[in-house]
Amino acid sequence: MSEHHSTGSHEEHVHLPAPTHWPIIMALGVALGFTGIVTNLGLTILGVVLALAGAIGWFRQVLPREHVENIETTVEDVLVTTTRTEVERIVVPSEDRAHLPIETYPILSGLKGGLAGAIAMVPPALIYGLLAQHSIWYPINLLGGAGVANWRNPSTADIASFHLSGLIVAGIIHIITSLLVGLLYGAMLPMLPKRPILLGGLVAPVLWTGLVHATMGVINPELDARIQWGWFLVSQITFGVVAGWVVAHSQKIYTKQSMPILMRLGFEGSGLHHEDHDQAGEDRK
Amino acid sequence: MADSTLPIQGALDITPPAARKHSILEIAHSWITTVDHKKLGILYTVFGIFWLLVGGAEAIAIRIQLAMPNNHFLSPQTYNQFFTMHGTTMVFLVGMTIIFGFANYLVPLMIGARDMAFPRLNAFSFWVTAFGGTLLYYSFLGGSGLYGVGSAPDVGWFAYAPLTARAFSPGHATDYWAISLIVSGIGTVGTAINIVATTVSMRCKGMTLMRMPLFVWLFFVVSALTLITITPLTAAQIMLTIDRYLGGHFFDTQAGGSAVAWMHFFWIFGHPEVYVLILPAFAIANEIIPVFSRKAIFGYPAMAAASVGIAFVSLGVWAHHMFTVGMTSVSNAFFTLSTMLVGIPTGIKIFNWLATMWGGKIRFATPMLFLTAFLFQFLIAGLTGIMLSVSPWDWQLHNSYFVIAHFHYVLVGALVFAIFGGLYYWFPKATGKMLSEKIGKWHFWLFIIGFHLTFDTMHVPGILGMPRSIYTYEPDRGWGPWNLVVSIGGIIQGIATLVFAYNMIVSLRKGEEAGPDPWDAWTLEWTTSSPPPDYNFAIDPVVGSRRPLWDLKHPEDPDWKYEA
Repeated sequence: MSEHHSTGSHEEHVHLPAPTHWPIIMALGVALGFTGIVTNLGLTILGVVLALAGAIGWFRQVLPREHVENIETTVEDVLVTTTRTEVERIVVPSEDRAHLPIETYPILSGLKGGLAGAIAMVPPALIYGLLAQHSIWYPINLLGGAGVANWRNPSTADIASFHLSGLIVAGIIHIITSLLVGLLYGAMLPMLPKRPILLGGLVAPVLWTGLVHATMGVINPELDARIQWGWFLVSQITFGVVAGWVVAHSQKIYTKQSMPILMRLGFEGSGLHHEDHDQAGEDRK
Repeated sequence: MADSTLPIQGALDITPPAARKHSILEIAHSWITTVDHKKLGILYTVFGIFWLLVGGAEAIAIRIQLAMPNNHFLSPQTYNQFFTMHGTTMVFLVGMTIIFGFANYLVPLMIGARDMAFPRLNAFSFWVTAFGGTLLYYSFLGGSGLYGVGSAPDVGWFAYAPLTARAFSPGHATDYWAISLIVSGIGTVGTAINIVATTVSMRCKGMTLMRMPLFVWLFFVVSALTLITITPLTAAQIMLTIDRYLGGHFFDTQAGGSAVAWMHFFWIFGHPEVYVLILPAFAIANEIIPVFSRKAIFGYPAMAAASVGIAFVSLGVWAHHMFTVGMTSVSNAFFTLSTMLVGIPTGIKIFNWLATMWGGKIRFATPMLFLTAFLFQFLIAGLTGIMLSVSPWDWQLHNSYFVIAHFHYVLVGALVFAIFGGLYYWFPKATGKMLSEKIGKWHFWLFIIGFHLTFDTMHVPGILGMPRSIYTYEPDRGWGPWNLVVSIGGIIQGIATLVFAYNMIVSLRKGEEAGPDPWDAWTLEWTTSSPPPDYNFAIDPVVGSRRPLWDLKHPEDPDWKYEA
């Protein structure tokens, strides 16, 4: 970036487009052309004539040569002033600037954590189904029923029986949601202070269970009436602890935040490497 | 003042004084034939303010009618016409025209250009919009075909089929609605093309995309969005006209057409239209909040990206207006989620404005008062929007006054407040005169009190089940006291708007001289005289950062040192 100087070309005269009445004539023609549809055909004809005249006049304004006004410019020295005489900036020498987090978990660890959490959630959910309704399909259909359009006011017995569509939809919802939450864990655990598994695996599931509990009555009252919130919380904590554990025990990677954009994009070339980064990388090895 | 001064060669352009006084006819002729973006911007804005007064008067009449149960101030037919005309006027003739007025006036100045890319198209676009608006109101005279006074459109601003069919809407009132919007839509498209072309091709030396003022970024996005969304609306209006005149059956359910198709067409335009209106409010906020906080905007790249993100997501949310139509649960779920998604880029903007204000030396001049209120009110509007995005909640509140309160919170609480803030901020640039701060503060406090009386209270009858578009109600519903408060608030807002109009008239005649840079601001428009000369800049500007005037004022600490 080079220093800016307030220099520029100055002309004694500038050419600006000359004022013209053709645009307003054409606009009136267009408006009258449409107005004639609901009033009188004569108006439409008049409108078309005016619009054509406007268009022709307009073309002649710019072809073969544009009609312009020659305006004399006047330049004066002036004082650019400001009342803001003090400029405060946070002084951060470049060598001391913090780029946090320095290390983070790879995206893959979030996906692994989400997948592990998804598998770990299954036993408590199935146990709840067996204890509450004597059917492992009950919690599966509760989840899957939200996405099956042709289920209308199912009975408890319906929900407790096997439905392939319910199983497929529940599987899709469960896996996608788990992967997304796992990704969130991967992104957020480095930012959490001490005891990430306690915060990510226990506190966060309690918070989102509370949120879902508070809003489910509005979002889906039918589902709200059938959820056993205690079991729901147990399965969420199971997910949180397992996903958090998998993520927290993954190998961290350097974030590359302070590298030049070209390096972060994967370009290779001489002079791109920053010595500090190379040294930092060596230290970590 | 003037503690730190620096002589800059040619930083200010002075137009030679006029040699003689012009007659009124000459002045009128110069405005009618002008192709200057500044004059056209003023014309757009004055036109918009005029229709604001008209649409506001219609709103006051509606509120008087609803102030008490079983009122007979307006007949049912007239009431229907008034709420139709109020909605149509406010969206198409007030919101769109004032924002394009701002864009016309400021975009070339902010990017260091002498005019728009297509000056004559600019003039044509304004006049065709003006004639379209006039045609809409001509329906009061010509709606019955033979000047049967009082026969304006009465089908709602959304004009749902099959109500618009000839069987249910005989006469020409609905035709005027469709045709006037087709005509003004031509002007809208013309202006949008012009803004896109100007932004892409007319920037001064050094003004890269990432140095453009966020105001220009936002209008670039708005114009692109306008080009995409006006098309389906115009197509639908042409289909409606074909249905009514040529025996078409696009929306005739009894002949194989679909009334729901109209809703899809309309809302594919209608919801992005909300963003076409609100993004310019963000644009104004992006200029005023930093200047009055004495800090550069926080997170410029994120703000630009969030603007594009909002526009993109807004194209995929239209069916949240149709949750009660009977779409599949999968569709409802999709549109619920996509609507909630808008909250993310919007949240980025809110937090960045707050971060800009955080730790700044805030000056609560009138523009900043309006923009601070905008910030708070837009947040509330967004939250009720998220509530309504949940389809079961929407089923309960659809077509109730809760919805009316929500979108008025967006369009008045955010857009109108931002427009007022913008008018106070740039009026000195356009006229050379300051608007009175004293009257401005009266305007602000009256308007904000009226606004909250009206639209905070309006949520309650909505939750209590009061439907929109009803001309009266029975006293036993419990809506009466709430509606009375809402109406009182509406009248206070009307008074506040008249105070603003008075302020403009008085300040134009006797206002304090503004000078080129009354707010100690940073963008290029403040480097010219107030009002700017015809050619904007005697010397072609060269910029090195996002705040070129800051660099001139602080050569010891210019921005380009810090911008990547």
